Amino acid sequence: MTNFDTSTSMESPLRHRVAHTNAANAGVVMKEDKYRGHLNLRGNPQDAAFTSAVEKVLGVALPMAPSSSVRNGDTVVYWLCPNEWLLIVANGTQGQVEADLRSAMDGQHIAVTDISSGQTLVNLSGTGLTELMQKSTVYDCHESNFPVGKVVQTTFAKTGTTMCKLEDGSYDLVIRRSFSDYFFLWLRDASDEYGLSVA
Amino acid sequence: MHHIYCPYCEEMREEEEYSYTGEAHIERPKDPAAISDEAWADYMFFRSNPRGIHHEMWYHAAGCRRYFNATRDTQSYKVHETYKMGEMPSITAETLAQAKGDAS
Repeated sequence: MTNFDTSTSMESPLRHRVAHTNAANAGVVMKEDKYRGHLNLRGNPQDAAFTSAVEKVLGVALPMAPSSSVRNGDTVVYWLCPNEWLLIVANGTQGQVEADLRSAMDGQHIAVTDISSGQTLVNLSGTGLTELMQKSTVYDCHESNFPVGKVVQTTFAKTGTTMCKLEDGSYDLVIRRSFSDYFFLWLRDASDEYGLSVA
Repeated sequence: MHHIYCPYCEEMREEEEYSYTGEAHIERPKDPAAISDEAWADYMFFRSNPRGIHHEMWYHAAGCRRYFNATRDTQSYKVHETYKMGEMPSITAETLAQAKGDAS
């Protein structure tokens, strides 16, 4: 058995993979950004009252272009569809952000849903990353098609994922809690030839 | 390897991300109680099954999770166009026949 993270009462979906490392110079490095707050936001993008209220709470305007994202410190906003966004906020602040959004948009036809416990954020980096992505996803991850900041919802080893390219060339993947173990087993198998390190 | 254009994501995506959800532009009868059983059954169960151009709904299941419409050739599987819900197709069997007639 591997080490379990017992430092908190919360359990990350990938808690049992914390100490797993099988290569000194691993070509693929996985780092879970655990316990982040995930909020799903829906509203009418044509309604100025909605967009201005969200901007007031988050400090940034909602990304309106397809497959785009914005960042403001610890807060990340992903475009999911023309009237749906994913907000990823600092650990523990999601309750306050949700309350702030609700009070700012009081009376409007909107939805804010806390989905923090249903999914987790995983960062993938390393020299073997390009080839790993080619094996794992049907989406074209070449930089001409997948620039920094772009958000793509697609399949990763047949399971759904939302992925975002970061400035350092790594990817942030939002994966389902219920698929996290499958995701990890796939990752371990697919990265076998490059070596996998779990930071 | 078959790419289909999502009108909401505004780019070509792999077919694996989509699922087919049946014939498009089927309008629910405004007053179901007022129509005959035959008309209701026709709305409920019977679908056209054309050889050639077909207007149908697709669902971007692994992407933006939006339904949209597609004009597809059932013989060649060629997707002529995709368009948002609520819009009408610009390519139909008639416009294609017309274009073919103009070319010859």
